[in-house]
Amino acid sequence: MNDDTLHAIATAPDLRELQALRVRLLGKKGELTEGLKSLGALPPDERRARGAALHERKRAVEAALEARRAALERAELDARLAAERLDLTLPGERVPAGAHHLLTQVTNRLLDVFASLGYEVVVGPELEDDRHNFGALNFPPDHPARDTQDTFWTTDGRLLRTHTSPMQVRYMESHEPPFRVVVPGRVFRNEAVDATHEAQFHQLEALVVGERITMADLKGAITEMATALLGSGTRTRLLPTYFPFVEPGAEFAIWWQHPKTGREEWLELGGCGMVHPRVFEAVGYEGVTGFAFGFGIERLAMVSYQVSDIRDLFRGDLRLLEQFRGVA
Amino acid sequence: MRVPYGWLGELVEGLPPLQETADLLAGLGLGVETTQHLPGAPVGVRVVSVLAVAPVAGALQRVEIDDGERRITVACAAPNVRVGMRAAHAPPGTRLPGFDGALEVREVGGVRSEGMLCSPRELGLFEHAAGLLALGDDAAVGADLAELWPADDVIELELTPNRADAFSVLGVARDLAAKLDTVLRHPAAGLEAAAGDPSIADGLEVRVADPERCPRFSLRRVDGVRVGPSPVWLQRRLALLGLRPRNVVVDVTNLVTFELGQPSHAYDLEALEGGVLEVRRAAPGERLITLNEDELTLDPEDLVIATPDPEGGSRAIGLAGVIGGRDDSVRDATTSVAVEVASFEPIGVRRTGKRHKLVTDARIRFERGVDPALPLSANARVTTLLAALAGGRPHPGVRWVAAAAPAAPAIGFRPSQVGFLVDVAVPADEQRRYLERLGCAVEVAAPDRWRVTPPTWRADLELEVDLIEEVARLHGYEHIGSTHPHLAFVPPATDPTHRRLRERLVGAGMVEAIGYVFTSEDDLARARAPAARVRLSEPQGIERAVLRTSLLPGLLAAARLNRDASRLALFEVGHVFLDHEEERLGLLWRGHGASSGWRPPQAHDVYAAKGALESLAEGLGADLTLRPAAFDDLHPGVSAEILWQGTPVGRFGRLHPEVAAAWGCGDVVVAELRLPLEARPPRLHELPRQPYAERDLAVVLPVDVTYAELQARCAAAAGPRLVELFAFDVYQGPQVEAGHKSVALRFRFRHPDRALTDAEVDADMAAIMAALRGAGYAWRT
Repeated sequence: MNDDTLHAIATAPDLRELQALRVRLLGKKGELTEGLKSLGALPPDERRARGAALHERKRAVEAALEARRAALERAELDARLAAERLDLTLPGERVPAGAHHLLTQVTNRLLDVFASLGYEVVVGPELEDDRHNFGALNFPPDHPARDTQDTFWTTDGRLLRTHTSPMQVRYMESHEPPFRVVVPGRVFRNEAVDATHEAQFHQLEALVVGERITMADLKGAITEMATALLGSGTRTRLLPTYFPFVEPGAEFAIWWQHPKTGREEWLELGGCGMVHPRVFEAVGYEGVTGFAFGFGIERLAMVSYQVSDIRDLFRGDLRLLEQFRGVA
Repeated sequence: MRVPYGWLGELVEGLPPLQETADLLAGLGLGVETTQHLPGAPVGVRVVSVLAVAPVAGALQRVEIDDGERRITVACAAPNVRVGMRAAHAPPGTRLPGFDGALEVREVGGVRSEGMLCSPRELGLFEHAAGLLALGDDAAVGADLAELWPADDVIELELTPNRADAFSVLGVARDLAAKLDTVLRHPAAGLEAAAGDPSIADGLEVRVADPERCPRFSLRRVDGVRVGPSPVWLQRRLALLGLRPRNVVVDVTNLVTFELGQPSHAYDLEALEGGVLEVRRAAPGERLITLNEDELTLDPEDLVIATPDPEGGSRAIGLAGVIGGRDDSVRDATTSVAVEVASFEPIGVRRTGKRHKLVTDARIRFERGVDPALPLSANARVTTLLAALAGGRPHPGVRWVAAAAPAAPAIGFRPSQVGFLVDVAVPADEQRRYLERLGCAVEVAAPDRWRVTPPTWRADLELEVDLIEEVARLHGYEHIGSTHPHLAFVPPATDPTHRRLRERLVGAGMVEAIGYVFTSEDDLARARAPAARVRLSEPQGIERAVLRTSLLPGLLAAARLNRDASRLALFEVGHVFLDHEEERLGLLWRGHGASSGWRPPQAHDVYAAKGALESLAEGLGADLTLRPAAFDDLHPGVSAEILWQGTPVGRFGRLHPEVAAAWGCGDVVVAELRLPLEARPPRLHELPRQPYAERDLAVVLPVDVTYAELQARCAAAAGPRLVELFAFDVYQGPQVEAGHKSVALRFRFRHPDRALTDAEVDADMAAIMAALRGAGYAWRT
């Protein structure tokens, strides 16, 4: 046994060789094991001296084996780690994120606002009858007010609703006041189609009825909505106008900063007013007052997101739809 | 309607500056669309008289003119140039709108032309280029036209249909004067004396056969009329209104329409057979050529103005309240006219106008309702102007056929209601002043019980709430505060817009589209969707003639549009129109699934699409199964009915290759489901405390036996300890008999309370295998 042994241990090329060395030296029949076993046959003096030397030798071999094992294991791990290296700058494997339609996002944002203000969301049919779309909303037959809502009539005498207001009638016919409801939905006008006019578009309409709802409550509701959308300090403006189903009637605007021009200006958003007594009469309500307000979703969406052609919203073009990814 | 600011200022004392006036109008509910500055005549243009006209070549003429200082020669091709006429001359050096630089002396066809005679368009005054601006004697030769025709501003109003009273400069002025509490100068004030005496015969006769449709009719004779160009101020006024001046008679009737809001018409007296004018229903098939040269076939519901014809019949010469006829208009040679000013019932006028698709200044006013007190004073206004401007001599008599005017009913009004409804504090006496300034008569029966009679021009005021709006409007909506009502109302937590559904689909990487409800019969047929049930009576073209019966045609069109996209996963939530309107979810998949671009992507085939539906159902807590079934639009071997919680809700499958080819949309997988998709409320199950025992079995069975059948057979045979069963491999190929497939199943058994013994599980498996053997299936070992 000499330094060649320690050299062999220190230069063992891998863990298998090292294990073989361990067995050869320290196994049951290993050189050192045999040497230690043979001590018993020696005279006491010689046994002590030889024993001490052998134990010394064993500790040295064990230490060398352990050192070499640790070194080899580290080298092996380093090799594995080097082999496992990946280029994480390559693209990941994924399903592209989905997207709500822009109009759904804007509608959802508004519905969240109204939900927080205690409104119930209700929806209704798109194919309507004259009574719900016009008659019960105080549009008399042959009244010029009907010209302001160019109507798609069907060959069987029905119509595509020109506004979401028929739901006012439908809701009141089946519910008792007080209530707060908000109605999102698709509406239709038989108008020439161009970049800012479509034959179908979307509206959102709110209706609140109770024992004494006032026009100041109306203004408060619009201001709350505008504040929720645009932040505190938002101003709102009412100007008199005419819709057959409200009286007094108004158009409302909110003071905002135009996202494209950066200019602060009035954004004329929609119509509003106090529910007309004839509408209450048509649904059999007595002794209550209420307000309604509504506006177009496309207009708000288009000015907010700078969509220049309304028709692009309905083409199903992925290049446009995918731009509105994200959680609505 | 266009309202010239200068004109408004003549009617309203102390009218504020333009922008302030526009703001006031908006605050009154007379919506201001724009304000426009219209320039006057260009500097340097002068009034000239035409001395001589000599033809040169073609239309070109050498024209000698007098500009008050000297004789000038110009070249001119205008058809209306006449010796003796007054025209507008732009001398060299003048700058005209739309021309680059200043005019120069030019040779035109051998004529040395010093400047030019101008058309209204060349002067930038109004849209008429077919002839020279023709001026009347009021324009002095040599006068500077810019002084006669200065610039002005025009306020363009977008009027709501209820405000019939505001379709005139008078009406707008009236509202402003009420708001400003200032004096209104009525253009027809003091004309009562000039209205004519109905008891004096004038050789005219009016026969009103339908007094309901024509409750008032006045006809006034004016002789000695000289038909020629109107004075500059009148031409300018019409130009500001957006009208083209014609001749003084027509111009005066147009002016009064816009000034007072009362349409009128002047007939050449010679056209009235025997001086008789009839107001009657049209005969079936009767024809009329209008002023605009439209030839109309009339309907018996149409009300016409007619005159006897020499054969003893009667011929229509105008469509009452809508448009006059071509053949009875005033012409240059006319000397005597009959001026008609009448009231026509709104609905009749509206129906006639719609029937013949005619929108005229007269119709717009009559269908909204013209002040019933106007006809006689408006007639006096027209005839007085004809006397002043056309040398006419109004006859002292007037024909006046009128049913007794119904008295406007008084409206009960409680001033307390203004505070109650609008929540603004307006003292009662102030409310009274507002109403009176608007022309209402107020009678105070008790402190909170008034009787308010609206003026004749405000037929829109019918209810107390209308008066509340008038008070609020005059007071100003800007005084309304912002409050929040306390309502005993708690909204139910519903999801009628299917937000949870949409969010799950978007979360799964799907993109939402919104298509059109309009489609064509062709597209429905091409998509093999049900035939249209709902058709539009006046569609915007054949492509939009019917309502969709399925969401798929719209999604297929989107797939075609996006044909270059390697991956497509679209959905739409929308209504379809069958025997009933119903809401649906449509889905479309094409191309690969998850991908990186640099490794082979995951296949996005039918099973991936089905998996997306399964995830959706799982996420909403519902059971989803597919039951193979055939649908016209789907691949016959890859189509199924969708059962949601056991109920059929729609279909799923690969689009039929013929349909895919017809749309050019590629190989797509589609699904369409009826909404709402009911969700199952979650219920907590006790957590299993025992491990399960697992067994695998590869069953060999004919290929046409479905997995669902195999699964059902196993489950039925196994008993309650089988808690889970799924396929982990499906193989078809040389290892199994032809026409057969191998389905490797994994079974999991569990007892709720204790561990199962091998013997128990073996017994269950034996039962399953017995059942499979009974069905004729084998297994691989």
